[in-house]
Amino acid sequence: MKMNGNLTTGRSFFARALQVLLLTLLCSAAWAQIPVFEIEIREHLFFPAEFEIPANQKVKLIIYNRDATPEEFESYELNREKVIVGNSQGVVFIGPLKPGEYPFFGEFNLKTALGKIIVK
Amino acid sequence: MTDAVVIVLREVLEAMLLICMLMASSTAMGYRFRWMGLALLFGVFGATAYALRLEQISMAFEGFGQEIVNSTLLIAIAVMLAAHNYLAVKQLYNPRYKVPYGLFLLVFVGTVSMAMTREGAEIYLYGYSYGVLAGNMSAVFSGGAIGVGIGLSIGTFFYYALKSLARNKRLVTCCVVSLILAAGMMGQAALYLSQADLMPSQGALWDTSNVFAESSLMGELLHAAIGYEASPSLTQVLLYLGSVLTSLAAMFAAWFLYRKPESGEVGEAR
Repeated sequence: MKMNGNLTTGRSFFARALQVLLLTLLCSAAWAQIPVFEIEIREHLFFPAEFEIPANQKVKLIIYNRDATPEEFESYELNREKVIVGNSQGVVFIGPLKPGEYPFFGEFNLKTALGKIIVK
Repeated sequence: MTDAVVIVLREVLEAMLLICMLMASSTAMGYRFRWMGLALLFGVFGATAYALRLEQISMAFEGFGQEIVNSTLLIAIAVMLAAHNYLAVKQLYNPRYKVPYGLFLLVFVGTVSMAMTREGAEIYLYGYSYGVLAGNMSAVFSGGAIGVGIGLSIGTFFYYALKSLARNKRLVTCCVVSLILAAGMMGQAALYLSQADLMPSQGALWDTSNVFAESSLMGELLHAAIGYEASPSLTQVLLYLGSVLTSLAAMFAAWFLYRKPESGEVGEAR
């Protein structure tokens, strides 16, 4: 009898813990707002060329390419690379990152297309 | 023009090491280079098709089509390279065995054409829009030619270095190179999957950019050869190691199944 009682409380505890865990996961997935940052490419330059993002958090980066030519958004420090064809846009997830400076560049215009993300 | 040299060389280098390793391996497996014609044909076709369809592909899968295609190609190449290692070890321990031509073609042509599709698409896109459309043909194409030339000479050197080894040693060396190249591919696949948020992304596990910056010549060479990343994430490191283990497992399986050298035969004879 005693053992039986223990077992049920054990099970309901487990079930409740699972419920709470699932709910938390669902809520965090649905409610955790991933900050969105936007950059534009115009005349083979990045606008803004420098901007801040929060540390230790995943960030969504939308890159609009306003030029007719394709560009490759690339960063060794961020471990990212993505081709964005002319007059289109691309999304890249970055982070969570430690505070610091993370340069990026456009591979097809190595001399002009330069930028930097500052993580604070 | 220097832009074109750098861009083309970066893309060509990795594919070149892969192609030269497979060429050396195919000589050890007793096949001539006829497969290369087919691989180049498929590779050029694949690269052109990928470049022309890049906009639609990018828009697919909620804007992550590019990441999905690239990581799929990279994972497929890594799997094919593990298959190569299995076949190479099987042939090593079984001198009368020759890899069937169909299977040989599948692995060798498959690997090279997929690698060319991925790297070639970027070259095509760059050359077409910055060379042809921008009316800057001579600078872009001479730069590109220099890039290909440097890549080719490194590749030729690499091929003859492998070729100078005796057959068995060459097979084993090719397996080692293949294992490392495959791991580098998986590391890159991890990058694309994290970029699309399909795999978890974390901060860098370590940072060796002050030793070899990835943008330096040495960094680029190491990146092409061993998949070097100055500041890799945990996901990248895990997939890299996973690929090494898969290749080793494939080689071990071939060794385990096909070893039975003299000792086994002697045992049976008694």
